[in-house]
Amino acid sequence: MDRIERTIVVPGDILSEDEKRSGEGTYVKDGRVFSLLYGLANYRDNRINVIPLAGKYVPAPGDHIIGIVKDITFSNWIVDISSPYDGLLHISEFPKRIDMEEMSRYLRIGSSLMARVKDVDCTMKVELTVNDRRLGPIKNGRLIEISHTRVPRLIGKGGSMIGMLKKELNCNIFVGQNGRIWVSGNEDDMDLAIKTILIIEKEAHTNGLTDRIVEFLGGEKGSRS
Amino acid sequence: MTSVISEIRKDYLYNLMLRGERGDGRSFDGYREISIQRGLIEKAEGSALVKLGKTQVLVGVKMQPGEPFADSPDRGVIITNAELVPLASPLFEPGPPNEVGIELARLVDRGVRESKSLDLKSLCIVPGEKVWIIFIDVHILDDCGNIMDASSIGAIAALLNTIVPAKKFGLGEDYPLEVKDVPIATTAMEFGGVILFDPDSDEEPIASTKMTVISTADGRICGMQKSGTGMLATDQVYRIVDIACERAREIREKFLEV
Amino acid sequence: MIFMEEKISFIKDGLRLDGRRPDELRPIKIEVGVLARADGSCYVEMGKNRVIAAVYGPREVHPRHLQEVTRAIVRYRYNMASFSVEERRRPGPDRRSYELSKVGREALEPVILTSYYPRSVIDVFVEILQADAGTRTAGINAASVALADAGIPMRGLISSCAAGKVGGEIVLDPMKEEDNFGDADMPIAMTPSGEITLLQMDGGLTIDEFHEAMELAKSGCRQIYEVQRKVLIERYSQLEGERGEQAEVTACD
Repeated sequence: MDRIERTIVVPGDILSEDEKRSGEGTYVKDGRVFSLLYGLANYRDNRINVIPLAGKYVPAPGDHIIGIVKDITFSNWIVDISSPYDGLLHISEFPKRIDMEEMSRYLRIGSSLMARVKDVDCTMKVELTVNDRRLGPIKNGRLIEISHTRVPRLIGKGGSMIGMLKKELNCNIFVGQNGRIWVSGNEDDMDLAIKTILIIEKEAHTNGLTDRIVEFLGGEKGSRS
Repeated sequence: MTSVISEIRKDYLYNLMLRGERGDGRSFDGYREISIQRGLIEKAEGSALVKLGKTQVLVGVKMQPGEPFADSPDRGVIITNAELVPLASPLFEPGPPNEVGIELARLVDRGVRESKSLDLKSLCIVPGEKVWIIFIDVHILDDCGNIMDASSIGAIAALLNTIVPAKKFGLGEDYPLEVKDVPIATTAMEFGGVILFDPDSDEEPIASTKMTVISTADGRICGMQKSGTGMLATDQVYRIVDIACERAREIREKFLEV
Repeated sequence: MIFMEEKISFIKDGLRLDGRRPDELRPIKIEVGVLARADGSCYVEMGKNRVIAAVYGPREVHPRHLQEVTRAIVRYRYNMASFSVEERRRPGPDRRSYELSKVGREALEPVILTSYYPRSVIDVFVEILQADAGTRTAGINAASVALADAGIPMRGLISSCAAGKVGGEIVLDPMKEEDNFGDADMPIAMTPSGEITLLQMDGGLTIDEFHEAMELAKSGCRQIYEVQRKVLIERYSQLEGERGEQAEVTACD
C-alpha cells in the first residue's frame, strides 16, 4: 500500500545530477542535488525530498500543537511547544474575556493546551491561539511525546492512519505537529493507543507499516476478548 | 535551565501510584537493570562504566604518591570528585561543580571512607612523607535518573579492579588494591506519600525529597543523606532504611562479590 | 613516562612501532545514538582514544545576549576527563581545551545551516574519556556524526585525521609515541568533497613534505568518512522494524 522508493541518506549524499529535482531537505551545488539531512530520501513525482529521522520542531502558521504553560506574564501565557522557540498565547486569543488577574485560573504553570500557531514572524516570535472549539486547555486523558518527524507517518496519507486508529481504538486522539499527542478514552483503550503510537514512532521509516499496525491491533483485541 | 513538568503527566504518575504501579512497570522498590563494564579506561588504574537503566556513569580511579595530610601522616589520601558534564543532561551546565555535584561526590566519598573499604594505613609509603593518593573521578555520561546510586556502584566497582601502579613510581611490583568492604548506596524518593526506589528521570522531577542510604556488606549503615526540600515521616525513614539495605545486599551479591 | 633512545627507529621493515604501514589508520570504531538524554550522540574509538560527543539543540540560548537574530550560534566544548591521561589532570578547562574547543567549532560550523534556526543555539559537547594522541580529530569525527543524529541540517559530514612526520617519514594518524617524539603533527578536517575546515601543524616540514602529509591526511579522512556514513546508514537498515534506543519515548514534561 504505502510502498514508495525510499533510501536512507546522510548529509552530503548526492541524490541527483538534475538540479530541478531538488526538494525539501536537499540543496543544489554545481547543478547537482545533495542531501542536507540524515533521513529518508523519497523519490516521487520527479522530486526528491529528504525526510529527517530526527530534529527539533520549528513552528509554522496553521500548525496544531500541544503546549505546556511555563510562565505567565502581564497578558501572555508563555508556552513550551517542544521547540527551540516558545509560543505566546495572548489573553485576547482565549475564546472568552478574561481579566488579567484571573489568567492562572484558566491556564496555570504546568497546564497543557491544544493550540494553533497563528503567526510566526521573522524573529521567531510565535503567536498561538485557542480561539476554536476544538482547542483549549487539556484536563484529562494522557499526553505522550514522540519525535515530531514521525507525525506525518502517524497521520498517514490523507489522515488514513490516524483515522483508522481513532476508529479501532475507541479513543479521542489529538496529534500535535510538535510531536505531542493527547489521548483520551478509558484506561485500557488509552494503554493500547499509546502502545500503538509508540510502535508507529519506532517503525516510521519502514515499509508496509499500516498493514502491520492493522494486524497488531487485530491480535491485541483478539487476546483481550 | 529548568523544565516545566506538565500537570497532566504528574497526575498520570500519581494515579499509577495509587494503583500500585510505576510508568515502566517496576514495583515501588524495584531497580532498573544494572550492568557494569570494568577496565574500559586502560590509562586509569581502575575504571567502571555503570549502566542503571539508561543512566550511564563512568568512574576512573588514578593513583599516585604524594604527601599525607598533617593530621594523618601515616595514612593514604582519598580524593573524590564528580563532574556533571553538560553532555549528560539538558539541565547540566558547563563550569565547576555546583552544590549538586559536590554533594554527589561527597556521598560517594563517604561510602568508601566510612565503610573502611580501603585500609588507609596500608597506603602509607613513608610515614609523614609519602603516601598513595587515590583519586576517584566520577564522570556522569547520561542522566536518566538516580546518578547517585550509579556513581556509588561505579566507584566501588572501579576500586575493585584497581591495580596499584607501584612499578611506575619505582615502588616495587604492581599489585591489586585491597578492598575490604563493598559499600552500596541506594536511593528512594517520596511523592504523594509513596516511596519509590531508584527513581528515573521521569519520576525525579516530581520528587520533593530523596533519601540515600549507604550500607556495608555486613548490613551496617555507613552513610545517609536526605536531600530535597520535602519532609519525611519517621516511619517512612525507617522503611527506606530497611528496604535500602536489602536492595544493597542484592546488588552487591549480583555484581560486586569480592 | 616513556623514554626513547636517540637511535630508536620508528619504522622497521616498512612497518611502524604498532605494526601499521605508514599510510594506515589505527582501528576505528563508531557507534551512534549512545546517549538517551542528548538530541544526538556518538561514541568513537580511534586506537586507544575513546571519545563521546553529544548534541543538544537547536535550543533556547542562555544567556540571552548571545542570541543571533538571523542564525543559530554553535557552541563546542572539548573536555578531558581527569582519568583520560597518564597522569591525573585537574578537572575543568585549561588553555589547550579552550583552543581545541574553538578550532573544533570552526571545523564543523562551515557545514551547518545555522540560518534555519535563528535565535537558537546548537550545543556540541565532546568528552575525552581516554586520550592517546589525536583526541581533537576523534572528537570532531564523533561530533559530526552526533550532529547528523540530532537531525541538524548540514552540507556534509566532517571527517578529521592527522598526518605526521616521524623518523624522516610521513605517516598517517600518529599514535602517542610518534606524536611525542616525531618531527611534525598536522591534524586536518574536511568535507566529503575535500574542502578543509581544520588545519593545524606543529613541528617542521618542507613544502614537499607538507604536500605529502596533506594528501595522506585527506586519504585518512576519506576512509573515516566511509565508516561514519556506514554507521549512520546501517543503524536504520539493520533495525528495519526494531529501532534502537533513540526512538523511545522521552518523558512528556
